[in-house]
Amino acid sequence: MSGDRYELNLLVIVMDVNPIWWGQQAQREPEFTLSKCLDAVMVMGNSHMAMTTTNRLAVISSHFQDSHFLYPCKNWTGGDGAWDGTMDEAPYCGDGKYELLSVANNVVAEEMKRVMSTTEMKGNSTDTLLAGSLAKALCCILLQKIVTFFSAGQEMKSRILVIKTAEDCARQYMNFMNVIFAAQKQNILIDACVLDSDSGLLQQACDITGGLYLKIPQKIALAQYLLWVFLPDLEQRPQLVLPPPVHVDYRAACFCHRNLIEIGYVCSVCLSIFCNFSPICTTCETAFKIQLPQMMKSKKKKLKQSI
Amino acid sequence: MAVYVKDLIRISHNWVDTHTCDVTTRGWILRLLINITASVVYPPLDDSCPSTTMASLSEEVLLVLKKVRQRKQDGTLYLMAERIAWGPEGKDRFTVSHLYSDIRCQKISPDGKAKIQLQLVLHTGESSTFHFSNDSSALTDREAAKDLLQQLLPKFKKKANKELEEKNRMLQEDPVLFQLYKDLVVSQVISAEEFWANRMSTTNTENTLSDKKQDVGISAAFLADIRPQTDGCNGLRYNLTPDIIESIFRTYPAVQQKYGENVPHNLTEKEFWTRFFQSHYFHRDRISTGALDIFSECAKQDEKGNVTHLELYRYIRSGVLNVLTAEGLPKEKKIGGKPASTSNPNRTGKENSNSAIIKRFNHHSAMILAAGSRRGDAPNDQASETSSTDGNSRDSDLFQPPIKKVWWSIDYLDLQREDGPKTVALNLKKSDRYAHGPVPLESQKYTTSQDIINSITCIRHEMANYVPNLAQVLTSSAVSSAIAALSPGGVLMQTGTQQAINQMVPSEVQGELKHLYIAAGELLRHFWTCFPVNSPFLEEKVVKMRSNLERFQMTKLRPFQEKVQRQYLSANITGHLEEMLQTAYNKLHAWQTRRMMRKI
Repeated sequence: MSGDRYELNLLVIVMDVNPIWWGQQAQREPEFTLSKCLDAVMVMGNSHMAMTTTNRLAVISSHFQDSHFLYPCKNWTGGDGAWDGTMDEAPYCGDGKYELLSVANNVVAEEMKRVMSTTEMKGNSTDTLLAGSLAKALCCILLQKIVTFFSAGQEMKSRILVIKTAEDCARQYMNFMNVIFAAQKQNILIDACVLDSDSGLLQQACDITGGLYLKIPQKIALAQYLLWVFLPDLEQRPQLVLPPPVHVDYRAACFCHRNLIEIGYVCSVCLSIFCNFSPICTTCETAFKIQLPQMMKSKKKKLKQSI
Repeated sequence: MAVYVKDLIRISHNWVDTHTCDVTTRGWILRLLINITASVVYPPLDDSCPSTTMASLSEEVLLVLKKVRQRKQDGTLYLMAERIAWGPEGKDRFTVSHLYSDIRCQKISPDGKAKIQLQLVLHTGESSTFHFSNDSSALTDREAAKDLLQQLLPKFKKKANKELEEKNRMLQEDPVLFQLYKDLVVSQVISAEEFWANRMSTTNTENTLSDKKQDVGISAAFLADIRPQTDGCNGLRYNLTPDIIESIFRTYPAVQQKYGENVPHNLTEKEFWTRFFQSHYFHRDRISTGALDIFSECAKQDEKGNVTHLELYRYIRSGVLNVLTAEGLPKEKKIGGKPASTSNPNRTGKENSNSAIIKRFNHHSAMILAAGSRRGDAPNDQASETSSTDGNSRDSDLFQPPIKKVWWSIDYLDLQREDGPKTVALNLKKSDRYAHGPVPLESQKYTTSQDIINSITCIRHEMANYVPNLAQVLTSSAVSSAIAALSPGGVLMQTGTQQAINQMVPSEVQGELKHLYIAAGELLRHFWTCFPVNSPFLEEKVVKMRSNLERFQMTKLRPFQEKVQRQYLSANITGHLEEMLQTAYNKLHAWQTRRMMRKI
């Protein structure tokens, strides 16, 4: 990987910046807030770009309003060419940092401020639009792939790192699964770093695409976890001792109660899953006859004895 | 004097064969001879003895030897079809009688010794010794007895030991079974009968299938192999072995029929074969000679089998003829008339002979193939045999009315209207159910609107004052605890060690564990097949199986577990086995308590 100059590596970091969760988090744990999280993400991004010159970075913020590209961003007043880091007026950091990194950091910071300042509670939904952000990430990757292929003839490998805080949204399930399968088809890894509660959808995403799922016990050491587990790319991972894959719960949820069931009844016409038998399928209204086993007589006998 | 009854019968057969030609006369004479010999051999009746009387003999006596001593008593030795017996002289009953299947082996005294003896050793270990004391023919008597026994004993031995051999063979063929046997029976966890009880029924059916070997077919060159040798004086010698004769009969049933008709009434075998080879039936060109040749009928029958114009006309008559491919049809104006002659007068003689040779070859090959497939079928008559060589069953077609045949031939499945299975229309009332993922409908956390507003303001405030401070991202304590969690053995790495259990224990231990699983599986299978407990036999078996399982646990499982724990520390690889055994015990306990309740 490192010796191959011609292979691009694109890392897309999708950050869950749900203000409600982060606001509550700031009240729960003041030592780890959105600022700290953002710092850790920047460290991760810088490290990735510092590995090889052909590494690229993209950062997307996932909000309940929309998904926004924090980096690279067209709103940067420094002009186009944010990918290459060539600026007309690069802000001076004063610490001798590689300019690309400092530009990236500044852009991310600025954009985040803007996103947060324009947060408004309009609708009722407080769920993070994660599926949409992932879809945007996929589009970005695809576009970059085409551009690099046709302009420079280079192959591009890419992966997505999701940093998740809030809970899963049930309504995004279909879109989520579509995104996952699209990523699998394109050989794009989806890694997941979960801060708060386990997410079944992300577990499935990581299992299907071949990425890593990790739920962090200590949020303040986020940067360390990111660098240890998520920085190495696909070719290096087999050679490292990384946390083993999680057992994924692939159980289906019944259509009536949304309980996860292992054994259930499936309508043969519309394939909807139920946990109890009902003579009419409520989804497609076909009537079913099922023959109950002839156990009635012996059951009665047993009842008598127990009395 | 030794009287060989079988020899007598054979001699009489030969005599009768050569001197009579009538089957019934022959049979009568033979029966007479047997009666004569039987009366010589079978002594008169005596009812006074409880042991085996000779009167109850209806078995065939093969050899009778007089002046044979047993336990210093003179007597006569009788070898029968299924047993050997000895009776003292003057008495009419046998004092010693052994079935051939009981005899393990026979022993003879060495040649130089004065006493000429024969000893029979039984399976039980007992032995009986017979001393041949006839002055003149003791040695020949003993040799005769020994030879006969040598022929007879193997036949009976097979029956007795067949089961044991069967078992041995099974154990040798299947190493898993052998291991299971060692684990269970040798260590006395269960008895050998129980072990074999389940197995023998399954294997008996398998064996009958495997016994059907393939039959040897006929070599296609068998006729050519009878290479004739010139006799020196303008004649040819044909060497016919029984194999060749059998091949000829199987391939050409017509010849077999002729043989059955003519030999031995009209012709001897030698004459029959001479005529066969002389006949033009056998020769290449097969130009038909006079009707005197008995094989000309065979030629005509074979002709019937060939696909000739005859077949084409039959097809035309049946209304099923593909005009496009019917090439070479001789132009006949009357299609319903007689079939055309097989040979076209315009053809030259050479073409005729070529086509005849080719026809012969095809016919010969077809007959050989048909003979291979005909084996095992009931004997057919000639007509069906010829039709089988063609591969057509034209007879059934010919009996249908013509119009039906035409419809049948133009009826194709593809051209018919499709009559697919009836389908149910799908109308979904609540299709949004599919879009919902395996996530609870309502989120567990409930946030009030006030909370939401507070959170948002808080965040806005925080972000407004945000300055990246990348140098202070981590503290060393946080980092070291994170690294500890990520290192092998840490909090996050726990599931990994469980998966590597097969790397923690060496392969011999794994192999032992496999054997334990197989043995336990076998015992548990016996146990669980007893349920539901319907009969007293099953009740006993269940209790016995429980004790077997306990014994297995004590003798095999516990020591293994201890050994593993001593050497490999915390690996708990027998946990599952213990679970299975415990489930079985629980089931039995539940069943027993239910039974108690029922009795109460």
